[in-house]
Amino acid sequence: MVMEISTSDMKRVQLFEVTGRVDSTNAAELGSAMDSSVDDGKTNLVLDLGGVEYMSSAGLREMVRVLKRVKRTGGDLRIANPSERVREVLELAGLDSIFEIFPTQVEAVGSF
Amino acid sequence: MAETSHLAIPARLEDIRQACDFVVEAAEQAGLGERAVYHCQMAVDEALTNIIEHGFAYSDDSSQIEIACRTEPDRFIVAIADSSPAFNPLLHESPDPSEPLDSREPGGWGIYFIRKLMDEVTYERAGGRNLLTLVKLIATARHAAASGGGEDAPVPVRVLDAQTAVISPAGRLDSNTSIYLEHALDAQLASGRTQLYVDLTAVEYIASNGLKVLIAAWRRARENGGDVVLSGLQPRLVEIFAMVGFDMLFQVFPDLDAALAARQARR
Repeated sequence: MVMEISTSDMKRVQLFEVTGRVDSTNAAELGSAMDSSVDDGKTNLVLDLGGVEYMSSAGLREMVRVLKRVKRTGGDLRIANPSERVREVLELAGLDSIFEIFPTQVEAVGSF
Repeated sequence: MAETSHLAIPARLEDIRQACDFVVEAAEQAGLGERAVYHCQMAVDEALTNIIEHGFAYSDDSSQIEIACRTEPDRFIVAIADSSPAFNPLLHESPDPSEPLDSREPGGWGIYFIRKLMDEVTYERAGGRNLLTLVKLIATARHAAASGGGEDAPVPVRVLDAQTAVISPAGRLDSNTSIYLEHALDAQLASGRTQLYVDLTAVEYIASNGLKVLIAAWRRARENGGDVVLSGLQPRLVEIFAMVGFDMLFQVFPDLDAALAARQARR
């Protein structure tokens, strides 16, 4: 399954719903989708990973890079609904204490 | 009865996907569980990505990478061979998962994951090629998939009656160990015991995986007219539970005796 990103412009939050596989062939695409929101001054980002069946470290790299970028301007990148496997990978890299992770999209969006 | 299957892919990122599919299929045939299969897929993906991004540095589209999967009675083995310049990933300094965001480099985690996800990783340079061998132990995976409630279950379970059991995990409940608690809880629920007392006295730390296991069991128990009742939380766990709102969901008692006494009183 290829990766798809759907972006929604919400009142205070940019929501990115991702499905499929995130790996070294397409992680940059995910990163640049988030970057273009940041370029527009929207730095409160929610990444809904509910539909992500697989993510390699290339995806994590983009997430950390964008998190560092939005944090510099007072924004945040928060994660919603990672699968058990993706969550395990986040934990292994210590990212569960670096990202705010929410079980649902509603909670993640509402947290801003 | 070792079976070996082979695949060669061009050294291009877009061809990693077919190597992943190939390894997933072989790992499934080897009898690995879903989690272990995912680990193998990710380790192979990370290894191939490193070879292509750094070894070949995108320079050489005509190069091939060979992948061989072999199943032995107790292990699933993936061997990856490439002819890029010699590079021993095991000498690469691993990043530190406790590194805070400010000082953290976004990348460089591929090799870390390979080592974390697989049970054995070895490297050799032979005949002008890098040979990386990744091993996932099948015994471990089978054990995790099949355990729970049995004599050798890593999480002690004490059955009190047809509805009730006490489960006493110990140590850390993280992504590596939560599965044992999950299987212990699942085994009790599957045998119709829905009144489950999880005594956390000996648990030092609980990660999100452990929390998830508890909530899943709680949900299932409640659906079947039972409950998951917790006791003996150390101060650190009390803090974590309050932070995620679990103290509102679960009945929590200072110790197991108090939890069981409440059960007697209710009868």
